[in-house]
Amino acid sequence: MADFSSALSLSASGMSAQAQRLRHVSENIANADTPGYHRKTATFEEVVSAGQHTGQVALGQVNLDRTALTRIYDPGHPLADEGGYYDGSNVDLVVEIADAREAQRSYEANLRMFDQARQMSSALLDLLRR
Amino acid sequence: MFENLAILKVAQSMASHAALRQNAISQNIANADTPGYTARDVAPFAETYEAGAGGTMRASRPEHLQGSGTLRAEITSRSQISTMSPNGNSVSLEDEMVKAVEVKRQHDLALTIYKTSLGVLRTSLGRR
Repeated sequence: MADFSSALSLSASGMSAQAQRLRHVSENIANADTPGYHRKTATFEEVVSAGQHTGQVALGQVNLDRTALTRIYDPGHPLADEGGYYDGSNVDLVVEIADAREAQRSYEANLRMFDQARQMSSALLDLLRR
Repeated sequence: MFENLAILKVAQSMASHAALRQNAISQNIANADTPGYTARDVAPFAETYEAGAGGTMRASRPEHLQGSGTLRAEITSRSQISTMSPNGNSVSLEDEMVKAVEVKRQHDLALTIYKTSLGVLRTSLGRR
């Protein structure tokens, strides 16, 4: 049974990490038109506790994407310089949507594993039933 | 007769092997997007189940499992790596799903054997 509880918490950590990733993707998409916005990226890392690999996953530090901001030509914009350009964001919507899809698929995979561990442990408990 | 039933022990070891392997697969799937992660697995049941001393089952063929043994299984890094993504992650979600189904079937099989053996015992005691 200990294996099942740890399998359940492993899958739960995977789901929460993917949900946080989706949250950052939503932030990026929401700010796609914000001038001067740098998209946020975060990598996953395995949780190490007391020098042991636990197998759980967590979202690492959030970094800003340092690629150049897009220059947008709009002389009427309040932020526009003398040439009529201002800095937009460096969010690429196609990349964000692809990332969101991947997060969703990985979330589903974790959910399936969670469900399977739950089924297996309840089948084990059914042995007690007569 | 009833105190040391080998078939129940084999079924129990098989179920706990399946549970351990489910744990390894959950780790792989949770870390499917972690850079530099190597997939983990547990050796197959037949290799990890070792025959113990004083087995009560008679092995009439060499490939038979030998009685009341002990399970020596642990989670290790998978040796053969099928795919490696550019960020150094060797988890393939498809492979993991196939392995998860194998684990589920192994666990179901073990529990069915256990239940059936109990049923046989009950019948021999004259209860139904």
